[in-house]
Amino acid sequence: MIQLSQLKKQYKEAIVLDIPELEISKGECFGLVGNNGAGKTTLFRIILDLVRATSGQVTINGVDVKKDESWKSLVGAYLDEHMLLAYLTADEYFETLRKIYGLSEADLKSHLEKFTELFNDEVLGKKKYIRDLSKGNLKKVGIAAALMGNPEVVMLDEPFENLDPSSQIRLKKLILREKEQSKITFLISSHDLNHVTEICDRIVLLEKGKVIRDLREKSEMMSKLEAYFTG
Amino acid sequence: MFFTLLRLQALKSFRSTSFAKSALATGFMIFIALLLLSYVFFAGLFLGRIIELIAEGRDALDFLNSGLIYFFLVEFMYRYFIQKLPVVELESLLHLPIGKKRIIQILMLRSFISPLNLIALLLFLPFGIQDIQEQYGTLGFISWFGTLLFFSWTLHWFMLWFKQRFEDSIIGLLVVFATLILGGGATFMGWYNIGELIAPMFAMALTSLIPLVVFFLLCVVAFILAFRYYVQNAYLEDLSDEEDVRFVNQSFGFFSRFGVAGELANLEWKLIVRHKKSRTYLMLSAFFLLYGLIFYTNPQYQRVEGIHPIFIFVGVFITGIFMIQYGQQFLSWNSGNFDFFLSKKAGVESLVKGKYLLFLSISLVCFLASVPYAYFGFEILMVHLATFLFNIGIMVHVIIYLALWKPKPMDLNKGAMFNYEGVGAAQFLIIIPLMAGPYLVYLPFSLLIGDYAGLIALGISGMIGLLAFKPLSQLNIQKVLSNRYEISSSFRQEL
Repeated sequence: MIQLSQLKKQYKEAIVLDIPELEISKGECFGLVGNNGAGKTTLFRIILDLVRATSGQVTINGVDVKKDESWKSLVGAYLDEHMLLAYLTADEYFETLRKIYGLSEADLKSHLEKFTELFNDEVLGKKKYIRDLSKGNLKKVGIAAALMGNPEVVMLDEPFENLDPSSQIRLKKLILREKEQSKITFLISSHDLNHVTEICDRIVLLEKGKVIRDLREKSEMMSKLEAYFTG
Repeated sequence: MFFTLLRLQALKSFRSTSFAKSALATGFMIFIALLLLSYVFFAGLFLGRIIELIAEGRDALDFLNSGLIYFFLVEFMYRYFIQKLPVVELESLLHLPIGKKRIIQILMLRSFISPLNLIALLLFLPFGIQDIQEQYGTLGFISWFGTLLFFSWTLHWFMLWFKQRFEDSIIGLLVVFATLILGGGATFMGWYNIGELIAPMFAMALTSLIPLVVFFLLCVVAFILAFRYYVQNAYLEDLSDEEDVRFVNQSFGFFSRFGVAGELANLEWKLIVRHKKSRTYLMLSAFFLLYGLIFYTNPQYQRVEGIHPIFIFVGVFITGIFMIQYGQQFLSWNSGNFDFFLSKKAGVESLVKGKYLLFLSISLVCFLASVPYAYFGFEILMVHLATFLFNIGIMVHVIIYLALWKPKPMDLNKGAMFNYEGVGAAQFLIIIPLMAGPYLVYLPFSLLIGDYAGLIALGISGMIGLLAFKPLSQLNIQKVLSNRYEISSSFRQEL
């Protein structure tokens, strides 16, 4: 599904990302962990063609993300609040996306119904601009937006951050359900080892821009990660 | 899609926390634009007559053709200073399946709808219809007029590329200087007459379609140049190879004498030199030191006795350009970290004082740098001294007071591409009402007693302002303090 080859990102002398080879297959739930500055967000940004790689390339379904933009309709992402249109209300934002993705109103309605539990009546139908929402609710809007338009790949940067414990559990359930039903490929970065090992079937550990562990065995993930992070 | 994006733009400005301020500024801009365009149109209507008056005995068309290149040189200059680059919130759109090309196309289309692109049309259409169509027929008229129009529009697209590519670089300013010198300077110095050199081309357009075709193609090429540059650089990161750390550890020991406020003035200085946008303002102030050359050398403004009133304007401008431009966004520069100042003891107060200190210092530097203008006459030095005193005594408080009305947050760190909110026509036009101040003081005295009395009045009122610096600055400080909750929440809001 997503293929990285000889990918490198360099700011002056500092190499912030250096991945010779990495493949993420369809339907996989791919977890990305690493300490601050390991290059998680940079990797996501390069995959989304928001930032240029110094060398190497990323292909989604065989298409180089730099050359063609057709992949954008297959990929949903929420990295940070700048991806939202903060001066709209949540309802208006979803409505705008609906037009961009070419969905029907019924599609949008059934999509948002999936989030009823997560939104907890704090997002929809409120006369409040997105910029005035709390960080947790911002995140919920972003995640719901990333999942719109039947994407094949969804990328979330720190989805559990800023969410209250019950929202975290609800989000986890939601991701697992989507993975089951729609075979969405998830790319999730997180500092929360418990959550990420629970939902992901593959975890890649980054350190200073390099892949240093690629764990696929669910039973040993947690222990290996804990061993690394306690150092 | 086009309308969705347009609607989003509109919503954004309606819902901005500083809507009232921008609406007022826009209203004023539209008014000025209409006024100027109607002047241009009337000038166009009577262009034939005007030429007959200036160029007695010469063929009007010949004369116009040899003057056209100067029109385009001037157009190049004013486009460089006031043409705005299109701005878009790239981050919130890039990840959606819209397509970069589509976004950029809309951006370009919007940039094209500008009064600047009407000037050539309004100015030359009446003359074309009245004179050229009569002499050379419809085809000659279309070809000549089309050539001019495409020349002007080529400059539009070229400027979109040029400003974005060379903004904040010495090369950009050098090119502008070179254009100025090659154009006006060369003729003035008598090296060669560029007007006569280019005139045959416009004359050719009267009888042949070749110039029209050439300029149409040039216009297309310029469009493609700009379009491709924008598409290629539609990324979140900066284009440049990240500026070298050339400005590190630059601070003025001089400021340290003023305690915390001095430290914050140093901090503000670092903010200015380390951000592209604010640096542009600084470079502009340096550039505008030369502004006087246009006025002081112009025989039209020479007086045997006394001082032409326009010199007051020039003086205020030269010694105060930095505070006028930079000060307009007084607190916006700190919108990203306003909470930092709020959370410190006496932080906001020191911030405002530090800015005062910085404005006064830069104003002083500008005044000292303008001393060589004394070459054009002692009275010019006096004008500068009086306006300088007035600037630091009174104007600075007025500018800051106005700027504190609903300050608008500004993101300094966003990639510079598509974030060119910096210098546009608005920044220059806002100066006009500000200019009422010095004239209110100057004119009564200069008309009743004499020009020097007017200058003395300016200087003395400035000095009174300086003596009353504490209470006057306190007014502004109190205004910030009493509005601090509103200000900080509006800074936090807008993403």
